[in-house]
Amino acid sequence: MPTITEERTVQIKDIVCDILELEPEEVTPTSLFKEDHDADSLRAIEILASLEKAFNITIDQSELPRMVNLEGVYTVVAESANWN
Amino acid sequence: MTQAANRVVITGLGVVSSMGLGVDEFRAGLRAGRDTARPITAFSTVGFDHANGCEITGFEPAAWITELVPAELGRASQFAVAAARMAIDDAALSVPRLRDARSLVTIGTTDGESRDLDGLVEVEVGQGPAAMDPVAARRVPAGRLAAAIAREFALTDTEAVTIPTACSAGNYAIGYGYDAVRSGEVDFALVGGADALCRKTFTGFYRLGTIAPQRCQPFDVDRKGILTGEGAGVLLLESEQSAKARGARIYAEVLGYGLSCDADHPVAPNQAGVARCMRLALENAGVKPDEVDFISAHGTGTKANDVTEAGAIRQVFGDTPPRTVSIKSMIGHSMGAASALASIGCALAITDGFIPPTINHNQTDPEINLDCVPNHAVEAELNVVQNNGLAFGGNNAVTVYGRYREAS
Repeated sequence: MPTITEERTVQIKDIVCDILELEPEEVTPTSLFKEDHDADSLRAIEILASLEKAFNITIDQSELPRMVNLEGVYTVVAESANWN
Repeated sequence: MTQAANRVVITGLGVVSSMGLGVDEFRAGLRAGRDTARPITAFSTVGFDHANGCEITGFEPAAWITELVPAELGRASQFAVAAARMAIDDAALSVPRLRDARSLVTIGTTDGESRDLDGLVEVEVGQGPAAMDPVAARRVPAGRLAAAIAREFALTDTEAVTIPTACSAGNYAIGYGYDAVRSGEVDFALVGGADALCRKTFTGFYRLGTIAPQRCQPFDVDRKGILTGEGAGVLLLESEQSAKARGARIYAEVLGYGLSCDADHPVAPNQAGVARCMRLALENAGVKPDEVDFISAHGTGTKANDVTEAGAIRQVFGDTPPRTVSIKSMIGHSMGAASALASIGCALAITDGFIPPTINHNQTDPEINLDCVPNHAVEAELNVVQNNGLAFGGNNAVTVYGRYREAS
C-alpha cells in the first residue's frame, strides 16, 4: 500500500480545490467531485493534468474513474508516483 | 421574392488533403481506401507517447497563389486559397467572369491560423515578445481565410465570411452558400472549410484522451479516437440555370441542409440534438429517410461520437439505416475542412457511382451495428447522400446531396 505524507496531501487538496473553485473546508476526503461539487469530466482531466505537472508523474487516463474524491486521488497519485 | 427558388448545383471542386492535391488524387484515394496516417512533423511531439496524424506534405503554395504573397498568409489561408483556385479551374469558370458576378465566399474553420499562434507563443516564451514576427502576427485573424480568397481573385461584389463553428463549419458554409444561390442573391458561391495541423488542437485532444495511438478506426469495437488532420475543401455552387447556360459539368445537386444547436455540454455529443439536425436536413431537402443511399458520418472514431451518432441515425432511420461510412478513417479529422472534404467525397461518390469505405475496420461495435462499408469501396448507383457534421458545443450541420437530373 503506497503511503502519502501530510505535506503531499495538502498539496493535492490545494490543487483540487483550486480547479474546482472550492474552499478547502468544503471538501472532505470522501465528498464526491461530481455529485457533491458539481465537477464535470473536463475538470477531472484538468485535475489529472495538474497533478502530473506538480509531481512530475504520468497518470493513466484509465485511472479517472477512481479519482472521484480526494481519497481516490491520493491513492492514484501515490501509486502513479510509486510512493511507499 | 418574385422569382422561383433556384436549384443549386456543384460545378467545381477543390481539394487540398493528406490524400493529395486536386479532385483526381482525392477520388483515387477514396476509392482505394488509402490510409494517410503517419508521424506528425508539423511540430515537436517530444513528450507524447504517440503522435500520428494525417499531414499534408509537399504543398507548394506558389503553385496556386499567384496574386498574393504566400508568406503573408497562414497555412490554413494558403490551403483555402489553393482549394478555391482548384474549384474555379475545375468548374471551367474564368476569373474575370467570376469577378463580374455577384458572389459569396464562405469558409468554415476550427482553428483559423492557430498554427501561427503556436509559433508566436513559442517565440514569446523562449525569446520574449520583442522577437515575435510581425508578419506572422498579421496572419492570425481567422477572418482572413475567406478574405484571402476574395483578395486573390479581386472579388469586390462579394461577401467574404469565415464561419467558426469548428468541426461542422464546412457544412455550415455550404448551407449558407446554398441559401444565397437558391434565393438568387448571388450567382456563384465558393464554400468550404480549411484548417492546418496545430499543436494546440493536437494537445487538447490528446489531453482529453481522444487521440488514437496509430490509426483511426471509426465504428470499430476497438476504436481509440481521432487522428488530427488538415486541409481544405472548396466547392463552387451556382444555379442550375447558370450551369446549363455556360455548359458546365454538374457533379451533384445540393438538396438542402439542417442546422441545430444543443445549447448543452461543451464537448459531449447530444444524441437528440444530432437526430434533430438530420431530420431538419432531410425535411429541408424534401427527402424521406428511406431515400438516403448512404450517410457520410461525422464518424470521428472516438468512443462517444460514434456510439451517439449511430444512436441518432437509428432514431431517424429506424432499424434498417443506410450504409454509414467515415472518410476520417483515411484522412483523419481535418476539423473545419472535414465536412467540406466529406461533402466533396459525397459529390464524387454520386458522380462516379461508389461508396467510400471505412478503413482500419476489424469488428463493428455491436452497440453501433451499422454497415460501415468496411475496408473496401463498393460500387453503387446513388441518388441521395447525406453528410453529417457535428461539432463541440453541439453545433451540428447536416447537408444532403442528390444526383442531378433535369426536371421532366
